[in-house]
Amino acid sequence: MKRSWMAGLIAVLVVAAVSTGLGVILATSQAAEIAVPYIQGSLPMDPDAQLWGQLDKAQIPLTAQLIVYPLSLDTKARTLSVTAAHNGTHLAIYIEWSDDSKDVEGAPGDLYSFGDAIAVQFPVNTGAMPYICMGDTANPVNIVFWRAGKGVENLVAGSAYGQKPGQREALGLQSTATSPIEKLPPEAQIWKAEAKYENGSWKLVLIRPMGSTDPMVPSLKPGESISVAFARWEGSLHERGGSKTTSGWYTLKLEGVAAPAPAPTQTVTTTTTTTSTTTVEVIPPAIKGAVVGLIAALAITIIALIVFVARKKALTT
Amino acid sequence: MVRAQVSMVMVLDKCIGCHTCSITCKHVWTNREGQEYAWWNNVETRPGVGYPKTWEDQDKYGGGWVLENGKLKLRLEVMKKRDPPKITDYYQPYDYDYEALFTDQLQDKQPVANPINAYTGEPMDIKWSPNWDDDLAGANIYGRMDPNWRTLEKEIYFNFKNTFMFYLPRICNHCLNPACLAACPRKAIYKRPEDGIVLIDQKRCRGYRFCTIACPYKKVYYNWKTGRSEKCILCYPRVETGQPTVCTLSCVGKIRYMGVVLYDEEKVLEAASAPEQDLVRVQREIILDPFDPDVIRQAKADGVPENFIKAAQESPVYYMFKKWEIALPLHPEFRTLPMVFYVPPLNPVITALDARGKYTADYDTLIPTIDKLRIPIKYLANMFAAGNEEEVRKALKRLIAIREFFRLVEVEGKSKAEAAYVLEQNGLNLEDADKMYRWLALGRNRWIIPTRKVELRMKLPKKASGR
Ligand code: SF4
Ligand code: SF4
Repeated sequence: MKRSWMAGLIAVLVVAAVSTGLGVILATSQAAEIAVPYIQGSLPMDPDAQLWGQLDKAQIPLTAQLIVYPLSLDTKARTLSVTAAHNGTHLAIYIEWSDDSKDVEGAPGDLYSFGDAIAVQFPVNTGAMPYICMGDTANPVNIVFWRAGKGVENLVAGSAYGQKPGQREALGLQSTATSPIEKLPPEAQIWKAEAKYENGSWKLVLIRPMGSTDPMVPSLKPGESISVAFARWEGSLHERGGSKTTSGWYTLKLEGVAAPAPAPTQTVTTTTTTTSTTTVEVIPPAIKGAVVGLIAALAITIIALIVFVARKKALTT
Repeated sequence: MVRAQVSMVMVLDKCIGCHTCSITCKHVWTNREGQEYAWWNNVETRPGVGYPKTWEDQDKYGGGWVLENGKLKLRLEVMKKRDPPKITDYYQPYDYDYEALFTDQLQDKQPVANPINAYTGEPMDIKWSPNWDDDLAGANIYGRMDPNWRTLEKEIYFNFKNTFMFYLPRICNHCLNPACLAACPRKAIYKRPEDGIVLIDQKRCRGYRFCTIACPYKKVYYNWKTGRSEKCILCYPRVETGQPTVCTLSCVGKIRYMGVVLYDEEKVLEAASAPEQDLVRVQREIILDPFDPDVIRQAKADGVPENFIKAAQESPVYYMFKKWEIALPLHPEFRTLPMVFYVPPLNPVITALDARGKYTADYDTLIPTIDKLRIPIKYLANMFAAGNEEEVRKALKRLIAIREFFRLVEVEGKSKAEAAYVLEQNGLNLEDADKMYRWLALGRNRWIIPTRKVELRMKLPKKASGR
């Protein structure tokens, strides 16, 4: 058990090292899953709530954005600890990361500071896996953006460029190819956020209702999956805009409501990272036996493969 | 491609440092939370450090463009600079506790409205403010920190008999090659094609503050309250209706002139990349002659309205910058092609009492030797001509020539034809003299601004003119 856990860790480190070494974002070659268990009752906004400690976290490696101005000046590897849960009506994402400095912006007269920030990116079309760098016209992305001191915003990127000015106006959008991102209208600001900085790390809870009436915000359903990607800005380095670190695409797999709600302590969350050559399992220590873990991992991999093949079929037909 | 730009000339000789322009601007545009520290228009005392402190020092602030192997690059990219100016580079905004004047207890001394921190309301000691240099007659301290001394032996100018000072009012220059615009990854900053006004779209801006670093004049101000950056808008709602900006309108010294110039858009990058010595000349070259039939034809073909072309022909900016070459851009070496121009200050000749107890001054024919003027030419050249002293000499000589001409006519009773040689020696003629006199001395028709809207054009007089 110990050995498989170690192997998993090493494999994750290797993946992280390789992706950092390349200095580019591993886009579609990566298809890892983040399980989103169904929880009965309300989801806690409090970053210190027991639930967040109990759920297993996926380790998401981030690499510096080095494609467009303004480039990130920091190329050190960063990692986010991510977990999620839903209760049938709401989705919560919990993100934790270590950070030596708490950077908050917006204090009176503060022209100099940039807050630490996190973005979580989803495809507007749940079935799609858009261009990882903030989508494109065919496949726009919906981004929830949180900045310390500024709060949370729901944004859309890639939605309007390529369209004629008249069409853009009709949709109330204004983005262009060189500047794809824009804030969604007030009625689409459905995310709530709460963050806490303690002992050298940030904990952030993001919660939204699963349903959405805005065409630029995907509706989520229990039992379904949606692609997800992450970005982080380090305030102490004055990171903002393209000066950031990003992840590749992952899959949020929402557990069906019909299934009996497992108690959080018994939840088996397995993160599987699949690259083109290797399959790696990260089995958390909470699992009672390595066999159970292996079987679960295999099962999920198979399901993922089936989903992947089915989706590919759906896309090609 | 011919484009029109509404721009401004400030005649520094006439600025009395009253700050009416700054106050007017503040009350119209920035009297709001988040912009307390921001002075879209400010007036500096020179020699001095300006606002924000030593803003001309680009090693510190990272503004403007640099030429690298013949290519223009943003200095902030070359320096990998990511940190915007701090509030302490400007000043800690304050107010006064006026309530105390009404509520203080009866006592022997007069009640005092003490300064309070504008953010916290706490009492505070004022340590710095815009134009602090002047407020406390501090030039003997801060004057030495002025970046324009560069190659000069500055100490001699702090000797009592050699000292000099002048005021330098500043707004956004609505540059032809704006570094603020180029630095914005959000493309939130744009230069209006119809009149060249540079604006920040408050919907697109996300507060990245690359523009506040990139503007070498430090004329973009981050609003900490809204999380977006703001800047001088050249009072575009007024300009669109043929009115001057409020700083121009309220200027006590009548130093500000506004008008349209036509320029060749395709030549902008080339002009911005010229060798330092040539920057002023090349910037003049891209300003087009609004009387040239080819220019008029091309302007019309490029959609410049008729009333803009007409305004360009009467524009004080065209005459002062392009035709007479008496106006100069501020720090052309920043390579943004600033479109607010300055007529450098004429200043007394250094005189001394001679043996008979009379003042003497050196004269070079009738024109005093420019280099004997109290303000060192090099200092002005560092400020207005990227160090090219000839540009400053030319401007000052013409300003002296026009005065000499009128002295010959008014004081010595010569006819205009007799006195015209002073003008001719300096490349001017009688018609120029008359125009200069009307504009510079009488201050007539200081702004000639075409209206933008056809429907307004029909209702307003064709030419809105100054008082
Ligand atoms: S002065 Fe500064 S803010 Fe104004 S246009 Fe030029 S670069 Fe931009
Ligand atoms: S209002 Fe005119 S004279 Fe007064 S400080 Fe401003 S520019 Fe100078």
